[in-house]
Amino acid sequence: MRKLSIILFLVYLINSIVCNSIDNEVENKNVDRTIDITSQLVKISYKITLDHKSKKPINNYVFVAPIDDCNNLSFISARDANKKEIKLTQSKTLTECSYSMTLSAGSLPTIYIETVYAKVLQPYPTEIVQGDRQLIRYFGNAYFYSPYKTLAQKTIVHLASKSVESFTQLKPSSQSDTQISYGPYENIAPNSKYEIVIHYENNTPFMTITRLERTIEVSHWGNVAVEETIDIIHSGALLKGSFSRYDYQKDSRSGPASIKSYKTILPASASGVYYRDTNGNISTSAMRVLKDSVELDLRPRFPLFGGWRTHYTIGYNVPSFEYLFHKGENYMLKMRVIDHVFDDMVVDELITKVILPEGCKNIKLIAPYAVDRMTDTLHYTYLDITGRPVITFRKTNLVENHINDFNVKYQFSRIMMLQEPLLVVVFLYLFFLLVIIWMRLDFSIIKDREQHVHKD
Amino acid sequence: MSTVQQKAPSSSYKINWEKQESLAKLGILVLAAILSFSTRLFSVLRFESVIHEFDPYFNYRTTKFLTDKGFYNFHNWFDEMAWYPLGRIIGGTIYPGLMVTSATLYRVLWFMNITIDIRNICVFLAPLFSSFTVIVTYLLTSEIYSTGAGLVSAAMIAIVPGYISRSVAGSYDNEGIAIFAMLLTYYMWIKAVKTGAILWSTLASLAYFYMVSSWGGYVFLINLIPLHVLALMFTGRFSHRLYVAYSTVYCVGTILSMQISFVGFQPVQSSEHMLAFGVFGLCQLFSFVEYLKSKLTKEQFEVLLKSITIAIVSIFLGFAAVLTLSGKVSPWTGRFYSLLDPSYAKNHIPIIASVSEHQPTSWSSFYFDLQILVFLFPAGLYFCFDKLTDANIFIILYGITSIYFAGVMVRLMLVLAPVMCILSGIAVSHLLTKYIRNVDTSATSFTSTEGKAARPDVSKKYKKYDQQNKGVKSEIAIGFVVMITFMLITYTFHCTWVTSEAYSSPSIVLSARSHDGSRIIFDDFREAYYWLQMNTPEDARIMSWWDYGYQITAMANRTVLVDNNTWNNTHISRVGQAMASSEEKAYEIMRELDVDYVLVIFGGLTGYSSDDINKFLWMVRIGGSTDRGQHIKEQDYYSSNGDFRIDKEGSQTLLNCLMYKLCYYRFGHVYTEAGKPTGYDRVRGAEIGNKDFELETLQEVYTTEHWLVRIYKVKDLENRGV
Repeated sequence: MRKLSIILFLVYLINSIVCNSIDNEVENKNVDRTIDITSQLVKISYKITLDHKSKKPINNYVFVAPIDDCNNLSFISARDANKKEIKLTQSKTLTECSYSMTLSAGSLPTIYIETVYAKVLQPYPTEIVQGDRQLIRYFGNAYFYSPYKTLAQKTIVHLASKSVESFTQLKPSSQSDTQISYGPYENIAPNSKYEIVIHYENNTPFMTITRLERTIEVSHWGNVAVEETIDIIHSGALLKGSFSRYDYQKDSRSGPASIKSYKTILPASASGVYYRDTNGNISTSAMRVLKDSVELDLRPRFPLFGGWRTHYTIGYNVPSFEYLFHKGENYMLKMRVIDHVFDDMVVDELITKVILPEGCKNIKLIAPYAVDRMTDTLHYTYLDITGRPVITFRKTNLVENHINDFNVKYQFSRIMMLQEPLLVVVFLYLFFLLVIIWMRLDFSIIKDREQHVHKD
Repeated sequence: MSTVQQKAPSSSYKINWEKQESLAKLGILVLAAILSFSTRLFSVLRFESVIHEFDPYFNYRTTKFLTDKGFYNFHNWFDEMAWYPLGRIIGGTIYPGLMVTSATLYRVLWFMNITIDIRNICVFLAPLFSSFTVIVTYLLTSEIYSTGAGLVSAAMIAIVPGYISRSVAGSYDNEGIAIFAMLLTYYMWIKAVKTGAILWSTLASLAYFYMVSSWGGYVFLINLIPLHVLALMFTGRFSHRLYVAYSTVYCVGTILSMQISFVGFQPVQSSEHMLAFGVFGLCQLFSFVEYLKSKLTKEQFEVLLKSITIAIVSIFLGFAAVLTLSGKVSPWTGRFYSLLDPSYAKNHIPIIASVSEHQPTSWSSFYFDLQILVFLFPAGLYFCFDKLTDANIFIILYGITSIYFAGVMVRLMLVLAPVMCILSGIAVSHLLTKYIRNVDTSATSFTSTEGKAARPDVSKKYKKYDQQNKGVKSEIAIGFVVMITFMLITYTFHCTWVTSEAYSSPSIVLSARSHDGSRIIFDDFREAYYWLQMNTPEDARIMSWWDYGYQITAMANRTVLVDNNTWNNTHISRVGQAMASSEEKAYEIMRELDVDYVLVIFGGLTGYSSDDINKFLWMVRIGGSTDRGQHIKEQDYYSSNGDFRIDKEGSQTLLNCLMYKLCYYRFGHVYTEAGKPTGYDRVRGAEIGNKDFELETLQEVYTTEHWLVRIYKVKDLENRGV
């Protein structure tokens, strides 16, 4: 009991600190909110114009997400009027997450915030038969949730299709084509909530990558090999009843919620692409080399219906001069933490492994955002003696916006590059030497008699 | 090479004669070995590095288990994924040689940090061992006849289709390494017989042990060697060398072979091994008698001989009778009977007869698999008879017995192929040596190396021929050499063509040509297996015909009821009954067997002819062969004219049985070929007879892109009150 009260007290304390940092004089003068639910993600972008009652400069602002949303919030970024990135400091309480940002003095009081939520859209009904459309429910707030008072706000929701089963009305609200607008609402009190539900058709791929293991193997001989092992599940409405190939082939529109194929975009210099699973090569894929990328049209072995999973490995090589830079003995590898798998992807867990050449020292990882660095290991492969250092890091809940570069800095003496060829040379030399010696020595104890005369 | 000996460095710059010879030998052998490896890679280049067919998938799965879990766990492995609900003791029911070989290779490579995938080791193991076979064939033939013959036969075995059929890349089966082991044992045995050294005999038994551990065909070997001894005895060639060799090989070999748990006590119990045992006894008696003969007078000896012979024979017969009656000596097994009497299996065991590789060999397939070797073989035999030695007698026996066995069963063509190559190699080498002497020195260098390769002691013999052949004109000789060369070239072309066309399809991936000449790939099997692996519960039990059992466990990682290890006839029969019964009856059987999913192979849309409907009569036969399946009669599945038809004329029993319904469910609406009605089966060439039906107790859950594999879920019992 006592412990609980202490915790509660602490929570209150933290809460109060956070709340204290909120300047009640600040007001949201105007908020333009765009909710994009055309895909499996919910992308909300805000344009917030601030105002201070006492006309003082605003140097602090807090963006708050209720706790339910907070767990699904994959990505958030804020920019000021000059489109410059603003740094966010996150803090979490039992009821909400807040992101406070410091605004530089003199900047215009306009902020652009972009948030991406994954796994917020829920299929309803949760089970559909093969030919059914996939209906999705979006639960949201008609108002901009903010600890500040909002003077005027307007929300536009972009839908995936025209067909809307139902949506919560809150006057003034209207639907036109693939768009629903809420507002303008005026003078909304801080922390206001009004739940809205939009039930609409959304047949875009609902796919979740439950686990993605990305291995980057660096060779100083000019090649970087990338291999991704991917587990995918169709996370939309589950397939109820049977799958009929006849219906599926008869009508190309049959199974609108199923996924036949999707596009993966690889770097432009990718070569030697392979696409396989535990049973071997998956022969159903097409590759197109574009000007600035390589586009892979991946078809899983079977179409994915709701609840079906698949697992595969994709790999390719890229030349190292595009990603590996060096000055003397100091090297820097600049690669993506995660790369594009399909549009509007959701990744539950990502493990990225970087295998550096044998003999690297002073390895430093600079990640673009917070990742869990795991213990370094060693990897042994062709012609290794001491093993190659492996850096592993992990991150959960990622979306496309997380496609960003990380840097690995390390030291490597170029002499070490000769180690592997020398190893082969020395081995062959010793082998021939042994044979030469062997042929010249006579190991028999007694001199061989004349060759056996057989009973022919 | 063993023939390379230290020589005084007389001519340091010019390579001397002997070195030239060994260089040529080495070159030819290495080329042949590389050729034998690379000619087997057609399927890898055309498709990918993938395991072929059915049994290799089981071997692959067990190898993976062995590398992951270690030998001890492998030895004690009880596999609950096969033969549900019986399970199978894997460690005790397989020949582990193949798996242990690749696992060892894998470990050694990984120890050296060569991180090669176990699947690739499995895929390339057979080609690798065929390269070894080339070398061992050379050794064996040169031991038996001459180095030249050895080189020719090594070159021949490198590409002989009869052997390639079982050893292409991806064909990861026991036979791939067993042929090497067999020839190695023969080589060691010939060495042992020639030298009488215990060293060679022990090496022979070690090689024999490797052979036993890798293939059931070792029975052929353990009968051939005693047969050789027996033949030597009868021809009056019994010697102390032979005595030492055979006694060592038999004793050590038998004890070693009993270490394989699948073999167990068979070497002392089953009748297949009795010849070896009998000959062993005979050897002892023979030597004993020889010994006595040398010590006693003639009269004393004859009295003793008579009494001892009678006593021993009666004791032996009595003993054998008691053992057979008491069941200690196992009765002749079905597979063995079918070797001796081709019609035995067909009449008695449908499951043995249903396997295509157990069918008798047709004449055309002899030519197809061996080409000119068929004609050179008798010539080789003649030359062996012409110059009879201990070793030659062995190869003659091997040739004659294996040609018989190959005639009985297609798969034993594999045993015949090496001896065909050896004897043909002898024939070609002998003939070329004979005629090349009369050809001008300006003849092609290729053939001249062949001739020169003969060893000095052998060439002494040829002087005689030389004198006889003085009369042969150079033109005739040239003509003859050209003819032989032509034949060898056609042999090469034929072998490559056969390998490329007939033996290099993985059968797991099918390919066909479309109308515009481009290649279409049917990857339906893997599609279906992968679907099973990904989208069914991990403990799901899948019923399919036994052919696909190994593939399902290996690729889909799911439990199956029956698989290619056809050890339990009644269980397979039960599955056959389910497939052949009506839907309601089948549902009862499937509930009884706890089946979750049913998988059928259907070729009607693509024209894939080895599908389940074409195998269906075997299911009916096997299903009806046990007590519980007596209501299933083959006759009911034929139309009134006595044909097996799937159209309207077909029997009603067939049109309403489970297999029919599962294959043709909703197929009645599909247009398969232009100008034909819906539901036209392209394999049977007929419009199906039963088009509109619904399944009540099963539900289609997956059908692959080209309809090759169809998977159904067995519905649960309905809730009460619904």
